[in-house]
Order: sequence, then C-alpha cells, then structure tokens
Amino acid sequence: MTELVYILQLARNDFSYFFRTKWLMAVLLSLNLSDMLVVALVYAQVMTFNYFQFFVPAVIVMGVFVAALDTGRRIWLAIREGVIQYYLSLPISTQGIVVAYLLAGGLAAMVYSMSLLLIALVILPAAAVWNTLILLPFLFFLAMGLAGISATLAAAASTHGEYFFAYQQVVQILLLTLSTVYYPLDTLKSYFPTFLTSLVSANPLSLAAQAMRQYTFQGNPVEPFFLLNILLASLPFTIIGAVAYLAALRTIQTKGKM
Amino acid sequence: MLDVLRVVWFDLKHEIYPPVWIGLQWFTFSMQIFIYGALISQLVKIPQIPNYQEFYAVGFVVMMTFDVGSHAGREFVEAAHEGRLPYLLSLPISRSKLFLSIALKGGFELALMLAVPFAIILWLIGNLTVFSMVAAAATLFFLGFGVAGLMLGLSFIAFKSSDMYMAITTGLSAILIRFSTVLYPIVFLARASPGYDSVARLSPLTYGADLAHFLLGFDPSMLLDPMIGVAVLLALAVSTLGLGVFLLGRLVEGVRSG
Repeated sequence: MTELVYILQLARNDFSYFFRTKWLMAVLLSLNLSDMLVVALVYAQVMTFNYFQFFVPAVIVMGVFVAALDTGRRIWLAIREGVIQYYLSLPISTQGIVVAYLLAGGLAAMVYSMSLLLIALVILPAAAVWNTLILLPFLFFLAMGLAGISATLAAAASTHGEYFFAYQQVVQILLLTLSTVYYPLDTLKSYFPTFLTSLVSANPLSLAAQAMRQYTFQGNPVEPFFLLNILLASLPFTIIGAVAYLAALRTIQTKGKM
Repeated sequence: MLDVLRVVWFDLKHEIYPPVWIGLQWFTFSMQIFIYGALISQLVKIPQIPNYQEFYAVGFVVMMTFDVGSHAGREFVEAAHEGRLPYLLSLPISRSKLFLSIALKGGFELALMLAVPFAIILWLIGNLTVFSMVAAAATLFFLGFGVAGLMLGLSFIAFKSSDMYMAITTGLSAILIRFSTVLYPIVFLARASPGYDSVARLSPLTYGADLAHFLLGFDPSMLLDPMIGVAVLLALAVSTLGLGVFLLGRLVEGVRSG
C-alpha cells in the first residue's frame, strides 16, 4: 500500500513537471492548434474530400503521441542531471519508479489530448461524444505504450547525451508518416507494397486515429475487437519501454552511472 | 581572417564530427518528400500546380532554412546561458570579427544541412536555368540570415528568462510556418478563413517561399509579386543582422542569461 502511495506521488510530480514546462506547452499547443485551425482548413480547400473532418480527429491522436513522447525527455533529463540518483534513494522500488513514469506519461498525454478534443468539439460536430469515454482507457494504454517507446530511447541514448533528440525525431517521423494520421488507407494502398500497408494498418497511431474518427466523430457503434487491437498494438511498446528503463535504472544503481 | 575561420571551425566541428544532425535533416527531408509529399500530392488538386509534391518539396526546404536559421539564433542564447559566450567575448579578436564568425558559421551550417535537399529538389523539378538555381539558393541564404537575426533580436527576452524565450521563439516558429505560403498558395489561405491571408503577409516565410517557388518555375499567378519578396528578404536580413551587430557590440557584454 505504501509503495502504491509513493508511486502515485512520484507520478504526480512528473505529471506536474510536464505541464509546468512553459516552452513545451507553447510548442505543443501552437503546433497542434495551428494544425487543426490552419493546415486542416486550408488543405480542405484543395482536396476532393472533407480533409478537415478527416484530419482534426487525427490531431488529437498526434497530441497523445507528442505528449507521451515527452516522457523520454524527462527521463533523459533525470539521468543527465542526476535527479535519478535522488529517485533511487527514495523508499520505492526500481519497478515502482518505472511504473510511476509510465503512469505519468500516459496521464499527461491523456489530459493534454483531452484539451485538444474539447477544442475539436467546438469546431467539428461529433456524432457520439460519449463513445470517447469508452475509448479513453484504450487511449491511456496507447499513451503508456508511446511513453514506453520514449523511455526506451532515453535509456538507449543515456550514454550518448543529446542523441536522444535525434532518436526521438527518427521515431516520430517514422511512426507519423507511416500511419493513416495524414492520409486515408486507400491512398497508401496505391503507393506502398502490401506488407508496408499492413504495417501502417497495425501502427497504433493509425488504429487510434481511425477509432477517433469512426466512433467519436462519425458516431459508428464501438467494436470491441477494434479496441482490443489498440491494446495489443500498444502492449509490446509498454513492455519493451518498461524493461529498457528498468535495465537502465539497475545499471545506474550498481555502477552509479550508465 | 585566420582568427575568424578558427572560431568558425571551433563551433562547426561539433556538427560535423559525427554528422548526426546533418544526417537527421537529410533523413527528415527524404521521408517528408518521398512519403508524406508523394501521398499528400495524390489528394491535392490544384490546376495551376499539377505536381504538388514539387511545390511541397520547395516549401519544405524553405521550412528547413527557417529551422536552421532559428536554431542559429537560439544557439547564441544557449551560448550565453552555458557560459560559452563570455569565453568567446574574451578571445583576442574584435567584436566585428566575432560577429562575422557567428554569421559565417550559420552560413556554413545552412549550406551543409541544405546541400542534399536542395540538389534533390532541383533534380525533382528539372529543366532549370543556372540563374534560377543560383537565385533560389541566394533567396534561401537571405531568408536564413534574416531568421537567425530575428531570433537573435528576440534574445533580449532570454536575458530576463531563457524559458520564456524558448516558449516565445518555438511557439512563434510553428505559427509563422503554418500562417505562410510554404505549404499552400496564399489564395487558399484566404479561402480557408478571411484574414488568414493578411496574417500570412506578415510572415517572412511567405516572401521566402513565394520567391523560391517563383524562381523555380511555379505559376506566378499563385504567388506574391517577386519584387516585393526580394525587398522584404533584403530588408529583413539587413535590419536583423544590423540588430545582431548592435546586440553583440553593446548588450551582451557581461550579461548573464537567467
């Protein structure tokens, strides 16, 4: 019970740090809001289908993605600046620290993306807002998976300092461009070979964007199998991230550094 | 001149050994042009722009120029924050030589980052005259210097709060890019929402992008008057670099970034 309280306290600390980073909030909000209110609107003028309706739900998923990915930056900073040594001295297990970071990453991404959803609901009518409540736990799990990817990058980069940002950018570009966040699957099918199209379909970002479009904004009935897909696509990332971060913490614990 | 080159090399060698950031820029460009650009151009239908991928590629190089230019400006603030600037100021070279070395380093960095992407867009578009290629490259350099100067001009904020400086410059960057004609001609910004085109006319990127598009053979009916573009870019580069000289000569002596 005490361990759980400490985990929640540590998670709360990391969660509040995310929202207190002014420059980060400025970047995320200006990027996501300008994507919604400028890029989506302008592209809708030059496309044969309603791109605004297509892209706005995807921006919410992009919000989940970028906010969850920031978990890695916070882990990287904690390792670089030695805060991690302080965490390791707390009466909390290393597994507890890992869980706290993943929880905080998932929660920060959810709170941030829900603020984007509220803005999206003002500019784009949603057929079944209540479906979002069903989606929430699955999006939270996805956010934890994305935080796991980020934690892996932070652990991998800890010996090479600022390379973390290079790794992060590569992962960000790969996951976003090879997804259906920006374009429909039919467009991808005409350009990519079959195996790559399957990979794009299985990308958790594609699944989340599709769920947001279909269930929240178009009002289609929620399919449990589809939600299970989101869960299964996110799970490996969460596990790999947790194991990588745990290994990094154990190394610091025994050697004093990475 | 040898002193200037030595200071340039002192700063530049971190970018070259190893060339992680240069490679990352080239990778980002390739993904954006050959995947995102290729797919989105299948959806965009503009009669005056039969191949949107080419339009997007030029716009993306303009965005990269902006990115590298603003990075150079931000780096100056980081140098003050991390104590490198006082070291540079203590070197036995004049302030004008120091400023020249900072500007030259920015120019070399821009050339390194953009050489491959620029060659690719010339190859993609094809059938260009030597004049148009040289003029387009010069446009990018002027834009890069102008943006670096703009970020340098804002650096007085950093001497009050570096966090606030980062928030303003990074937030401003996203908005300047979205509210510009980098990704779409100005006529579609006006159609998306009244007033968007007026905001776009305030962005230096609009003039850089339209001038580069004009020089690389895109339909002039979709672009702003190239003579205005030349005037704006020249004015921006001269005025902001002038401000940079002033800042380096007067304001930064003994200053500490908070």
